[in-house]
Amino acid sequence: MVSFGTQPGSRSYLGMIGVALKMLMGDPVKYFGLVFGIGFSTLLMSQQASIFVGLLTWGANPVLDVRQAQIWVMDPRVKQPDQGQPISDQSLYRVRSVDGVAWAVPYARSAATVKTMQGNIAAVTLVGVDNQSMVGLPEENLANSMEAIRGRNAAILDGNTTHLIWSDGRDPIGEAVEINDNRVVVTGLTSSLTNFSGLPTLYMKYSDAIAITPPERNKLSFVLVEAKPGIAPEALAQRISEVTGLKALTRQQFAAAGTQFIIENTGIPISFGAAIGLGILVAVVITALTLAMFVAENLKNFGALKAIGVTNRQILVMVLSQALLVGFIGYGIGIGGTAAFLYFGQADPSLRGFKALGEIVGGSALLVMVIALGSAYVSVRKVLKLDPAIVFRG
Amino acid sequence: MSLISPQAALIDQVIKEFPSGNDVIRVLHGISLGIDYGKMTMLVGPSGCGKTTVLSILSGTLSATSGTVTVMNERLDRLKNDDLVRFRRRKIGFIFQQYNLIPTLNVAENAAIPLISDGVAWEDALNQSGRMLDHLGLGPHKAKYPRQLSGGQQQRVAIARALSHNPALVVCDEPTAALDAASGQAVMALLDEAADDPNRAVLVVTHDDRIFSFADRIIRMEDGRVIDDGLSQSLPQKV
Repeated sequence: MVSFGTQPGSRSYLGMIGVALKMLMGDPVKYFGLVFGIGFSTLLMSQQASIFVGLLTWGANPVLDVRQAQIWVMDPRVKQPDQGQPISDQSLYRVRSVDGVAWAVPYARSAATVKTMQGNIAAVTLVGVDNQSMVGLPEENLANSMEAIRGRNAAILDGNTTHLIWSDGRDPIGEAVEINDNRVVVTGLTSSLTNFSGLPTLYMKYSDAIAITPPERNKLSFVLVEAKPGIAPEALAQRISEVTGLKALTRQQFAAAGTQFIIENTGIPISFGAAIGLGILVAVVITALTLAMFVAENLKNFGALKAIGVTNRQILVMVLSQALLVGFIGYGIGIGGTAAFLYFGQADPSLRGFKALGEIVGGSALLVMVIALGSAYVSVRKVLKLDPAIVFRG
Repeated sequence: MSLISPQAALIDQVIKEFPSGNDVIRVLHGISLGIDYGKMTMLVGPSGCGKTTVLSILSGTLSATSGTVTVMNERLDRLKNDDLVRFRRRKIGFIFQQYNLIPTLNVAENAAIPLISDGVAWEDALNQSGRMLDHLGLGPHKAKYPRQLSGGQQQRVAIARALSHNPALVVCDEPTAALDAASGQAVMALLDEAADDPNRAVLVVTHDDRIFSFADRIIRMEDGRVIDDGLSQSLPQKV
């Protein structure tokens, strides 16, 4: 042991962190530059990632809307829920005959055009749900009960998209529309999850729905299946495929296929990936450059501190604490901005259901902290290697 | 306090070489000298003669290529880096030509840096540095920032910083080079008072002949060698 005392404790680090934060906040241009840069990039990353995930979810929402069925059976060529490729009516009975099936019901999904009594026309997604069980309807009622669908040519409309058919804000209950020369009356409102097409969804009894769609040999889009208790849906889906030759996917598998279809067949991943990448780039460039400038401008002061007896570890802690401070504040501002955007965006139907998932919130925090601490470490390396005697060299 | 050695610092046969491309440049040629307690020693000579290198080696901020460096009975050339840094923090006070005050800390905080970095609680460190600032006549300026002070006042803050932890050796690199004559004299008067402490040695590197009169001893250097060690008769006597 040398004769000039022991190493100072953690209080010396706390004290130097105080010095470091005063050094940083005393330079408002760089301080606010760092906070703004990190805040902006956090906003860009988390907001764009939230929208991206929201858009991907749209591809799965037609499946997720139907909570009662465990398995979807379809034509083997179908890749996603909005891809209509009808199968024969006999398919329903063949599926029902498969061992392990508790029940199987028909589900029709097709595009249609409605004409209002006011002369407006609008494209809609027409869904036909099982006449008896109503399996296929969303669970949330906005107006009237689901029983309102039971009348002849009665329809339940997705209440979130009413404005796409009637732009004057009227109550659609009781309104009549014409579909393929058939009169249909809106008798109830439900709340569907937003789908990728963005079109209003109109729900009718299966028998009514297939009756008003244009004539074609097959009109059954999917068979919705529930497994008997104790039967794993995955195993039953495989058995249905083997027995019927149709494609059978569990609800989760088909929902995932819907999002996968968007990933593989649209430019959305590239455009949002570019925006998120830009956010990361902004964070790296602004944080790294500003911290490097800050350290460079304070190089003499750091040299003096080293000469006076401030250790490299203390200087490292000082610069990392500066990075952590601007990282925390900038991240808070950025993620707060994203939360505000998504909160107020709920009023806009095109953003309905978008949310910042925990993975996005946590991932953004991790990225920002890695960037801030990494930039700080790169910047401070010069100081750590700095010869303290430099302070005597004018 | 009884001292083991009358000399605060001693370098013996010190050689210092710096790399220059494929060659090395020798800036100190086997220098030996000692710095006494209770005295102000001035190291003078033309630019490039090696006086700042001697100061750097004596203060433990630069290592010698060969030779021994002993400060307060510690062989600095044998200390590990962490111990050397701790030694500087506790035993040596530094005064730089350009003051090197941190512009975003106020006067009291700047003067408290050696204490804060050594783990003294923030408030205690400010109180201790505040007493030193009061002693140096800077009490009314404690809450000000360096940019609000004159050059002379800033150098006095640097002196407060150098003395706040009561070091046994104070090294000063051209402390008056950036000051006018009156401010320089005021700063040197404070350093002279600090050097009167029998438990402290003050080493000043300078080529400002206006302050030679404050020296107890003047060591002249030229081309990396000591050419004269002692108070020259041709220089004014200490005031």
